[in-house]
Amino acid sequence: MQSRPAIVGVGRTKFGEHYGKEPEKIIEEAWLAASNECGVERKDLEACYMSDCFLPITNKLGLEEGFLSELTELHVPMEVTRSFSAALLTACHAIQAGVYNKVLVGGIEKMTDRWDKIRDDLMLLEDPWSYYAGGTPEANHELMLRAYIKKYNITGENLDKLNIALAQVAVKNHANATKNKYAQFQRKITVTQVLNARKEARKSLGLYDYAPISDGASALILTSDAVAKKLSDKPVYVLGCTSATDYLNYSAREELSRFVAVDLAMKNASAMAKTALPDVRVVEVCDQSTMMELVSLEDLGFYQPGTAWKSIYESYQNNQNCYEVNGRQLFVNTDGGLKANGNPLGATGGAQIFEIYRQLKGEAGERQVKVDNASPKHGCVLELEGFGTKAYVSILGEKKD
Amino acid sequence: MSSEPIERRVSYLGDRLRASRCQSCGKEYFEVRDYCSNCGRKSYGKMDSIDLFYDKGKLELCTYINEPTNKFTKLSSFIYGIISFHDGKIRVPGRLTDQLITAGGDVDFSSLEGREVVPRFRRRYSVGANDLIPTISLAFTLADEYYPHQEYNIITPTKEYDIPGVVGYGVYTSRFRIKEGGMERSVPFIDEDSATAAVEAGKLALIHSGVDNKLVGKVYVGSESNPYAVKPTAAKVAQVLKLGEEDGDVQGVDAVDTEFACKAATSMFKDASSLVSYPRSGIKYAMVIGADNSQAAPRGCIGGELDMFVGYGGAAFIFGKQDVIAEVEGWYSCTSDTPDFWRRDGEPFPMHGGRFTGDPAYFKHVRKSTCKLMEKFSLKPSDVNYFVAHQPNPQFPVRIAKELGFKEEQYLPSLQINKFGNTYSGCSPVGLASILDIAKPEERILIASYGSGAGSDAYLLRTTSQILDKRKRQKVNVKFQAENPFIEYVDYPTYRRLKTGM
Repeated sequence: MQSRPAIVGVGRTKFGEHYGKEPEKIIEEAWLAASNECGVERKDLEACYMSDCFLPITNKLGLEEGFLSELTELHVPMEVTRSFSAALLTACHAIQAGVYNKVLVGGIEKMTDRWDKIRDDLMLLEDPWSYYAGGTPEANHELMLRAYIKKYNITGENLDKLNIALAQVAVKNHANATKNKYAQFQRKITVTQVLNARKEARKSLGLYDYAPISDGASALILTSDAVAKKLSDKPVYVLGCTSATDYLNYSAREELSRFVAVDLAMKNASAMAKTALPDVRVVEVCDQSTMMELVSLEDLGFYQPGTAWKSIYESYQNNQNCYEVNGRQLFVNTDGGLKANGNPLGATGGAQIFEIYRQLKGEAGERQVKVDNASPKHGCVLELEGFGTKAYVSILGEKKD
Repeated sequence: MSSEPIERRVSYLGDRLRASRCQSCGKEYFEVRDYCSNCGRKSYGKMDSIDLFYDKGKLELCTYINEPTNKFTKLSSFIYGIISFHDGKIRVPGRLTDQLITAGGDVDFSSLEGREVVPRFRRRYSVGANDLIPTISLAFTLADEYYPHQEYNIITPTKEYDIPGVVGYGVYTSRFRIKEGGMERSVPFIDEDSATAAVEAGKLALIHSGVDNKLVGKVYVGSESNPYAVKPTAAKVAQVLKLGEEDGDVQGVDAVDTEFACKAATSMFKDASSLVSYPRSGIKYAMVIGADNSQAAPRGCIGGELDMFVGYGGAAFIFGKQDVIAEVEGWYSCTSDTPDFWRRDGEPFPMHGGRFTGDPAYFKHVRKSTCKLMEKFSLKPSDVNYFVAHQPNPQFPVRIAKELGFKEEQYLPSLQINKFGNTYSGCSPVGLASILDIAKPEERILIASYGSGAGSDAYLLRTTSQILDKRKRQKVNVKFQAENPFIEYVDYPTYRRLKTGM
């Protein structure tokens, strides 16, 4: 990747319910935090990229760029995408092309304002035919789990271990979130709680297996390499950033036990970043459900298909907050993941980047992970739109060339 | 608010489960495609239109939904999953319908995986009172239960008759019943209504007759519980069953709704027979459907007495002059302005004239039409093999049959009121169907319908030898549905809830 774009500052709000706040207030809070961090003034911005998945539906806002312009008092180019990673990808392209040197990337979602209708909206946007047939936002996750169990013929004791492994994903993410002041849930849960919730619901996945709906915003300042060096002594580079796409309708896809788009996006991002998988030690995956964390680790290539649950189960047995891949530690969703950190769709990817940025810079406080007694050098973010319909992979790290 | 164009497009694809197949590579797609994504540009215009409407699928994966999205809350809980067709070439999402899942206990849904399922035409989900009613066939039932899979094979006719008659028929009633006293009555599942019953009955009639759907030139749907005050159920039936020549998304068929209380369908038997006989009509077959989710106020309310007798279901008859199974020898209809039963526009439930629904209404008109028809053909009661009368309750048809001089063996076989309840426009047609299910060749059937308001149509039918040939094509006959081991009985509150619908 020529002219690597660099992140020089990040900011975010707490995720959860922001009952009294307008969407503008939340995005303002996030972007001011990012600009404070790197001392970039609003008048320095050459363009803004903002994401929200469905603010026009939840908050009846049709032209989000307008309030962004009001907040920044800028009239520069501004574009809106559906996910933070999509905004970042577009911004990266602009910087690489040499069009801009300093841009704002932000994301916002305010889902609780439409609490009562949100599941219908989400489902209709994600996969209309499944919605028409009665599907819920949770149903596809449960079907994928069924497909996974059947494909890899997981039965008996192994099935129990898989179920515990999935519970462990939620337990680990909740534990991580207790060290994250921005996280939506700040309490620990136990494997028993997760299993009981499933039993109560008479379902394969229960309350504690799913990410919540959230309000929140996140932002970052992205610059060209030259500008980054002036603003920061240790910028975090976007080494690889790409996406891949799959069918809208899950049932029509070739593969039901994995996301082909994730596999593709990761391969392309790795090639772009010239980074080998073993070098990536901190990962933020899109755990809309515990099943998603499990399957994403396989789709990203960390585990062979059908095996990730074994390693997760071991982490449960050893009471660890990280997984093991070929003798190396892999830290996943150190901020609590979508499960506990929260999932305000358009802002989620920004929080994932925020976390990797902090980890790579050694600024993650209590959550800081160490690789060979130092901050990790590379991190990876996977963000999904829909149920695996779009997969965005961003690999962040030190510039090598 | 629903979007009319979106509704049209989703229904167009989803009601029939329209799909496409690439002529070169064979890849199949749910929805209509102009070209194959494998073969690209060269496949443009070389995609075959297929559909899954008469197919059977396999439930590949499923899960249990007990917290549905808002529009499905009236279903409360159901099984949802992925259904594959054609050995997995095509996969669609779908829910299992006709299942009342009770609270408590474990739901072992995984045992359902691998079972064969049949698509069912149903309401899609709940909408506001002013919205279009969405429908879909992504609802399925297990093929080895109440509603088995049946193939639809078009059969080239072998014999032309001089006079028109019934060439095939189908009866559809739901899987659910309420049992009170000695009477069982069919209860729709919550996603059913008179339109879904009309489509199902028509589908069964096509299967039974082997008639090419393209050759059906007119369809009449009689009902007094049309889900819409204005919007023809017949149009839905014509589009879903693809009646008449298909040209783009328009069917070359005439479709009309009729209404005359319980005789809305029987009234059109003569019109259908006449139409196929008129040499310049160019119409080979006409379909008449009577279907109702019979309305009644709840017990204890005014008009609530009807709630003891109402049922749910429909019957469809195809009339033509080829491969006839029962010739229409003649008819007599009578009408008078007798207000014994009515429902004002905008009111959900009908009112009735109490004891005046008897002598000055039902008996007077049924007697009149039957006697006049017998007179016309110089018939004595003993000259006919079966007598079918409208069945608003178990007593009326028996009393009129006896009064007219018919014996038990002539009128008892058609009495279906104790099995399905009064299916209003579908009532005497279901009675007729139950006779056609058992009649031998060269037997005479006299049917007298009754419609409040008031009138009666009497028909004289004579069966042909072909009635036996076609019988084996229909597994889902009246007896099959009346004595089905998969019938589920519901209590009164459940019955009212299901009947009220989505």
